[in-house]
Amino acid sequence: MRYGMVIDLKRCFGCYGCQVSCKAEHATPPGVFFARVVKRESGTYPNVRKIFLPMLCMHCETPPCEAVCPTGATFKRPDGIVDIDREICVGCRYCMQACPYEARYFHAKERFYFGAKGPTEYEAVGYAQHPTGVVMKCNFCAHRLTRGEEPSCVMTCPTNARTFGDLDDPHSEVSRLIKERGGEPLHPELGTGPSVYYLPA
Amino acid sequence: MRVFTNPFDRLMDDLQETARPQREWVDGRGLLLIMGHFLSGVGAGGWAFSSALGFFPGEVASVAIVAASALAHLLFLGRPERFWRMIKIRTSWVGRGFMGLNLFMAASVVYLALRVAGLGDTTGAGAVWGLSLVGAAVIMLYKGNVYAVCRAIPFWNSSLLPVLYVAYALRGGTALLLLFLPWTELGTGHGLVEVLELWIGLSAGVCILFYLTIMASASVGARRSVEDLLRGRVAAAFYGGVIVVGFVIPVAIGLFNAVTPVSLGALAVVGAASLVGDFYVKYAIAKAGRFLPHVHGAR
Repeated sequence: MRYGMVIDLKRCFGCYGCQVSCKAEHATPPGVFFARVVKRESGTYPNVRKIFLPMLCMHCETPPCEAVCPTGATFKRPDGIVDIDREICVGCRYCMQACPYEARYFHAKERFYFGAKGPTEYEAVGYAQHPTGVVMKCNFCAHRLTRGEEPSCVMTCPTNARTFGDLDDPHSEVSRLIKERGGEPLHPELGTGPSVYYLPA
Repeated sequence: MRVFTNPFDRLMDDLQETARPQREWVDGRGLLLIMGHFLSGVGAGGWAFSSALGFFPGEVASVAIVAASALAHLLFLGRPERFWRMIKIRTSWVGRGFMGLNLFMAASVVYLALRVAGLGDTTGAGAVWGLSLVGAAVIMLYKGNVYAVCRAIPFWNSSLLPVLYVAYALRGGTALLLLFLPWTELGTGHGLVEVLELWIGLSAGVCILFYLTIMASASVGARRSVEDLLRGRVAAAFYGGVIVVGFVIPVAIGLFNAVTPVSLGALAVVGAASLVGDFYVKYAIAKAGRFLPHVHGAR
């Protein structure tokens, strides 16, 4: 079993639904985006193209963040999910420098969306799960997976650009899409073996 | 240059960049880490030279400086109370550095205690001194490697960086000794230290030149970092701190000294300028780091 995701760049139209649903699911503080959409323009007028690149933790097969972690707080689960034990993390942020996908965030201190007004009721409840002084990241919504549900970004995507499943199963939807549509991970040259694949636009 | 009043706005701005600058290890409390790297290098280098010369004040100062660096590292951590967990040395250079620092502190303090007790010439003291040198070597080596293994930041991902950091640590060590020249007996036979400082200073300058030359023709992210150094957001620190204060002034005085001997005070200035340059090298390299761009050809 190795959880993985396929993102169809042809279907993604940059609505930020994944980004918002992830924030709602995990109640992440300001400046923390476990799932985010990178928007860029390329080319010059009149041949201009807008690129949407949805990004998240790639849950690599050989995660560089896990290798550099001096405490073992970052670990790889048997199902392929790369997670952080927040009780062990010392907040050295080495993993943030090692991650080529910029998927990690340091929760330095409590910050609220409405600043001096303090936390909303939602924030007061949601932020309790995020201790300060440690690093945080996407874990493929592990709590939802245990309930048999898909990650919130997959469930929310209005164009079904995201597909989630078992990369080790050759008959799974994710394996089929990668094979038939020529899915490629981001930065394959780094040899990290990401579990998130992109289908060409 | 835009000024941001809170880190959230700055992050939003950074995310618009094709190659996002790294901030965690240089801005805000990140400066403590740079200070820790600087002090640990100077302390380890200072210990190597002062203990080889049997210069007791230099040895004590080196241990105190490494202890200060440990404190700076500790204060940088998000959870300093968990520092003792950083023991994974199999794959982590931070873990290795932590163990090296512990080894150095333990061995050097024991060695100094033996020296004070008049047992400095015993075999046991020699063994402890050897252990302290191993610890000092690990301290000098680990910092460059910490950066060099980060493939996410192309500017750091070079095997030249550990060499550069070791060169600067050794140079910092000799610079520390130069500071002592006007006030201690080291000043009476200081020729060796001056030559070492000049030689290592020139070597470090050559290393920097090599490093920037290679990075200037490397991948997109590395090239952006070199631009930052040479004509961007890190240029003031690079030209002012690294080149003028850290290289031109010490080398100019050093070369002048080779022709006409200068005062011990002037040599102490060389030491101080070298140390400032040493700090700025670490600061500039960390500050110039940018993450790998994800979308090629984008703007």
